[in-house]
Amino acid sequence: MRTPLPVLVGIAATAVIGLVLPFVLDRGGLALYIDVALSACVVVGISLLMGFAGQVSLGQTVFFAIGGYTAAVLVLNDYTTAVPVLNGVPPALVGMVAAPVVAGVIALLLGIPLLRLHGHHLAFATIAMHLIFLVVVQQSEPLGGSVGLMGIPGLSVGPFDLAGHQSMAFVSLGVLALVMLVAHNVVASRPGRALRALATSETAAESAGVPVGRYKLLVFALSGAFAGLAGSVWAYYVGYLSPEMFPVSMSITFVVMAAVGGMGSIWGALFGTVLIKVVVSSLGTLGTASGMPDYAPAVMSYAVYGLVLVLVLLFLPHGVVPEIRDRLLPLLGPRRARPPQGGGSTPREAESGATADSEPVTSQSGAGVQPSGHGAPGSS
Amino acid sequence: MSDPAKATVKTPASQPREHGVIEVSDLVVRYGAATALQGVSLSVGAGEMVALVGPNGAGKSTLVDTLSRVVRPASGHARVKGRLAHVPEGRQLFGELSVEDNLRIGAWGQRDRDPEPVYEVLPDLRDFARRKAAALSGGQQQMVAIGRALMARPDVIAVDELSLGLAPKVVSDLAAHLRTLNSERGMAVLLIEQNARLAFELCSRAYVLEAGRMVVSGSCEELARSNEVARAYLGGGTGDEL
Amino acid sequence: MTQFLMFLINGIAIGCGFALVGSGLVAVYRITGVVNFAQGMFAVVAALSATSFVAMGVWHGLAELMAISVGGLAGLITGVIAVGKRGTQPLTALLVTLAVGFLAYAVEVLIWGENPRSLAGLDGRAELMGVPVQRQYLLVIAVTVVVFVLLWLFFSRTYLGKALTACASNPYAARVVGIDVTRMAFIAFALGGVLGGIAGVLIAPLRPVSFDTDVSLIVGGFAAAIFGGLTRPMMALLGGVLLGITEVMIQAYGNASFATMGSLVFLLVIMIWQATRRPTVHKESV
Repeated sequence: MRTPLPVLVGIAATAVIGLVLPFVLDRGGLALYIDVALSACVVVGISLLMGFAGQVSLGQTVFFAIGGYTAAVLVLNDYTTAVPVLNGVPPALVGMVAAPVVAGVIALLLGIPLLRLHGHHLAFATIAMHLIFLVVVQQSEPLGGSVGLMGIPGLSVGPFDLAGHQSMAFVSLGVLALVMLVAHNVVASRPGRALRALATSETAAESAGVPVGRYKLLVFALSGAFAGLAGSVWAYYVGYLSPEMFPVSMSITFVVMAAVGGMGSIWGALFGTVLIKVVVSSLGTLGTASGMPDYAPAVMSYAVYGLVLVLVLLFLPHGVVPEIRDRLLPLLGPRRARPPQGGGSTPREAESGATADSEPVTSQSGAGVQPSGHGAPGSS
Repeated sequence: MSDPAKATVKTPASQPREHGVIEVSDLVVRYGAATALQGVSLSVGAGEMVALVGPNGAGKSTLVDTLSRVVRPASGHARVKGRLAHVPEGRQLFGELSVEDNLRIGAWGQRDRDPEPVYEVLPDLRDFARRKAAALSGGQQQMVAIGRALMARPDVIAVDELSLGLAPKVVSDLAAHLRTLNSERGMAVLLIEQNARLAFELCSRAYVLEAGRMVVSGSCEELARSNEVARAYLGGGTGDEL
Repeated sequence: MTQFLMFLINGIAIGCGFALVGSGLVAVYRITGVVNFAQGMFAVVAALSATSFVAMGVWHGLAELMAISVGGLAGLITGVIAVGKRGTQPLTALLVTLAVGFLAYAVEVLIWGENPRSLAGLDGRAELMGVPVQRQYLLVIAVTVVVFVLLWLFFSRTYLGKALTACASNPYAARVVGIDVTRMAFIAFALGGVLGGIAGVLIAPLRPVSFDTDVSLIVGGFAAAIFGGLTRPMMALLGGVLLGITEVMIQAYGNASFATMGSLVFLLVIMIWQATRRPTVHKESV
């Protein structure tokens, strides 16, 4: 698998920018940076789920929250002293390890019944899951009920205090890098390639012997783990958690970011998150400027989410990053022309009329879409 | 003007009319990257019965879909003079609606939606007018599909795979109805068939479509005599005997 | 016993609200295959519009009718955006309706602010077989019954209704006979908007409505509609009523904070049960 030079340059540039930014940003900028990095972890998971398993989850915030609550409860109650094996291990670290595990396992358990559903039904079921989760948290004494958990200590590992904005920015970057690396390896693995087939046609994949259900569940659990990991860092950073920090609209905005960046594209997930967060944040700043009514920031952020999503879905149904890649890469090297779409229309299929006027399907966009980092199946 | 000698089609016996009800020329249809039809021409004259045969996936249905404006051409023309009614492949009835409602929907866009004239042509339909279309047998459904097309009072009717999945007796009954419509009402018929034997028996002229291209056309008699066509479409006992 | 009957009627009325929202979902889903996430928004827009019309001095009744038309207009606009472009797939359209919901938030906050608003409904109580019932509840039930009867007549007796059913039953064949399926989808969305609008103006006197009330409305409506597989209006009515009674009973005899949870669990169980019975049915992949 050859990675084309421009893509390598792009990755290197992104990494450098990511490393340099924390040194130059002010406090507000760092807060946005951390928000972007942690949200991107969630969005990468959603992007895998949508692009490779062809399913939309509108409840991904639940796993983000579960990660946060797991870390917070562990740190606030410091279980490390109670469990001999963990003696001497920094409690914050235990929380950060436990968060993705707990979130992933819960996603796995919830996924077993939920993933029997498809498309619209799954989308609704995940919203319902989200609302149920909020009720459960509000009623749960150990999680602080509707008041929430306060005074979560900042992240510190042994003698190193990482609670500052700048060091938290680096921690977030590290977490994001880890998530993207894992996601990349999953995509490039043999099951990952099978998953790509799955996004195109579940029935076809099934008849080809791909254990569709198990792979979907795996992606769902993985996306839950990504969100859980990000949630734990978020909990350490903000220092408190309450149910109203996790509204349903948050889950929807994650999906917006994935759709904008390009479903099934890891770099697209990052791009979509950066784009939406930065636009909303700058409009928010504009909205809070003097002379603006107090509802202006809310109006603007809703308008941005709505407008960007409508425009991207209708005019760039593959998402921004795959769309750009498909247009630019062929120009850079003729050999790297886009691989033929998997979900093709043989003349007969097309003739049946059912697919007569169909354009590429969003839920099928995984077909010709891989993260830019590695080669197309035809070229390897 | 309609001197057969002026005909440009490969065989002199074919007689494309000057004032065809269907005139298709250089038609190109694409589905995304796939090209379904690459420069196809065809004509059906008033009161003519013309067959379009070819293997599965040749683009036959695409051609009719273009004529009934379900599919848009990439280039070329597909003109219909007067009104075309389309009996799609696989009947494609509205399964949840009654037979009579299926007929009435066939008159979409018309003021007169009385199914009585159609019942006169296809009296059997009256017997199951109140039943749901999904509950009918294949032959009955095909009759409803033809009836639904007739509701549009067409000048030409395009029947896509009349015989598909039906018993020979049923097919010959339906074919007789088409023949009557043609001879008594002067309705032009475009018959799209994989079953070339049936098509050649019913029609005077035929076109053969393969992989989106018109490979040969001419009178049915001649085509049936032609070795190639006979081997590909009539040979090996693949065509159902009527 | 009297108390139980009172709760029962309250539950039925609340369930009728769900059923009305659900019937809008059914109208759109049957014909377009799209689950319209903006359905709750139609109710919110109509409810908020009604408060404004009343505040402007429009008579009650007329104000509600005007508000319902605003709901229908919102439905039409949503439909044009969601399915107006050729080749938009149902799952994409679902995300588009979500996006339209966000856009609507912006408009709603701009016009009506972020605070909940109430609408005056029918005051007082009536005696029904010895049971005191809020008259607004009776109004909700009565209107719902009328709406569902009209809906049934529309789909089963009118030519347009049958043509809409035809589009739902076989969109390809509908195009073959010359029906403009996209235009019919717009009609379906407008109908969904009207049904959502009716739900909105009926619910607004019972509970204050703010821009984000749409989430609870859509979830309740979806739970009702899923009862009939999203395609049968009458089953949506039944589902809605069952759901409403369940919620009110949990509230009355159990823990009030678990009331919505009951309906959500109800929704999930029904959906998963349906999926398990018909594991190969993926409507959206057709």
